[in-house]
Amino acid sequence: MGDATREAEPRVDGKDAQVNQDVLIMEQQRQIEEEISDAIPLVGAKEDLLGTLEKEYISDPIYSMKAKDLSSKYNSIRRTRPDGNCFFRAFAYAYFERLLTCKDDYKGFYDIVSKSKDDLIELGFPQFTLEDFYETFMEVVERIGSGDMTQDELYELFNNQGQSNYIVVYLRLITSGKLQRDADFYLNFIDGNRTMTAFCHQEVEPMFKESDHIHIIALSAALNVGVRVRYMDRGDSAQVIAHDFPEGATPAVHLLYRPGHYDILYEQ
Amino acid sequence: MSEPQSALLLRKQLAELNKNPVEGFSAGLIDDNDIYRWEVLIIGPPDTLYEGGFFKAHLHFPKEYPLRPPRMKFMTEIWHPNIEKNGDVCISILHEPGDDKYGYEKASERWLPVHTVETILISVISMLADPNDESPANVDAAKEWRENYAEFKRKVARNVRRSQEECM
Repeated sequence: MGDATREAEPRVDGKDAQVNQDVLIMEQQRQIEEEISDAIPLVGAKEDLLGTLEKEYISDPIYSMKAKDLSSKYNSIRRTRPDGNCFFRAFAYAYFERLLTCKDDYKGFYDIVSKSKDDLIELGFPQFTLEDFYETFMEVVERIGSGDMTQDELYELFNNQGQSNYIVVYLRLITSGKLQRDADFYLNFIDGNRTMTAFCHQEVEPMFKESDHIHIIALSAALNVGVRVRYMDRGDSAQVIAHDFPEGATPAVHLLYRPGHYDILYEQ
Repeated sequence: MSEPQSALLLRKQLAELNKNPVEGFSAGLIDDNDIYRWEVLIIGPPDTLYEGGFFKAHLHFPKEYPLRPPRMKFMTEIWHPNIEKNGDVCISILHEPGDDKYGYEKASERWLPVHTVETILISVISMLADPNDESPANVDAAKEWRENYAEFKRKVARNVRRSQEECM
């Protein structure tokens, strides 16, 4: 039977109207995603913090106040695309950028990530695809270690969809691995009657799924990289509150959280 | 970069499947110049109604594979609650997270970047053996499967016979 005849076969189950509506909604969603991706690069250029935020919140007293507080501690911001991957992408960019100049941290990080693949295979991840993500990730890490990477090259690499997203996928897998390995502990933080594996399949491993505290705790613990998140919200404190992950760690990466989104911060 | 990562990964999988075939299906390209369009032949799983059949299906991979899932469509006529009458396969792991066109499915079974052609086909073969009749893609087939199993069996037997003839 030919392709065309099957395609042309009329539907007889009366679901047409319903399906068409859903398809329309999905198309619109895709369109919105495309508009976002056209307007905002995966990782943006470094911008002056105060100038950028003051302009954005010119008619918003609470946020203006917080922008001022933030600018007493940080002088630049780097935006990431709000595509659900922003925490992972911001984390990777900020830490890799640090490794370009901070050679002391490199060895420990390299040792952890280079053995991460075997740990994940042991947990039952399919080797075939895992290796593909791992190799792309390690290629970048090794280039940083060998000094064969400039700031500009890192920036370009993170704006190359293929490589940038592969790095995000691999960090998601490392996060999932940590959550599953220490499931007894992390189960306390998730709601519902989900198993940790189900949680990881729903909330961690799929691309474009937003991150929560639990992702940040697990990733920073798995890689032994301290993350300080500055929370900018409607709360009435004049200060932009900081949370360190894991608790008590020295932060190597600073991120700004505004409801639903993470960007990178640079200290003074 | 000369070739996108998705093409490289698909090429690697094709080579691997040719070298170490997996029981239950065979895989190749529809057109040797297009790595994104595959043709697979699924052997009806033993001890199921589909046993003995040879079901041809096409897999269309997006350029964003493996971040986004392929679409799968049976080219051989097949009567099954989770396969649309036009052949489209409605299996949850082929749906993206957030894609709620088939809202009945548990989100836990959505597409993940670690899936391969092999893991997809293993899921499809297990679906053949064990249909999910909650809010199915082929409502008539699901109804028959529940209420008139003899007729359901008869239709599938006809699929199997036809698929054998088409393969000759």
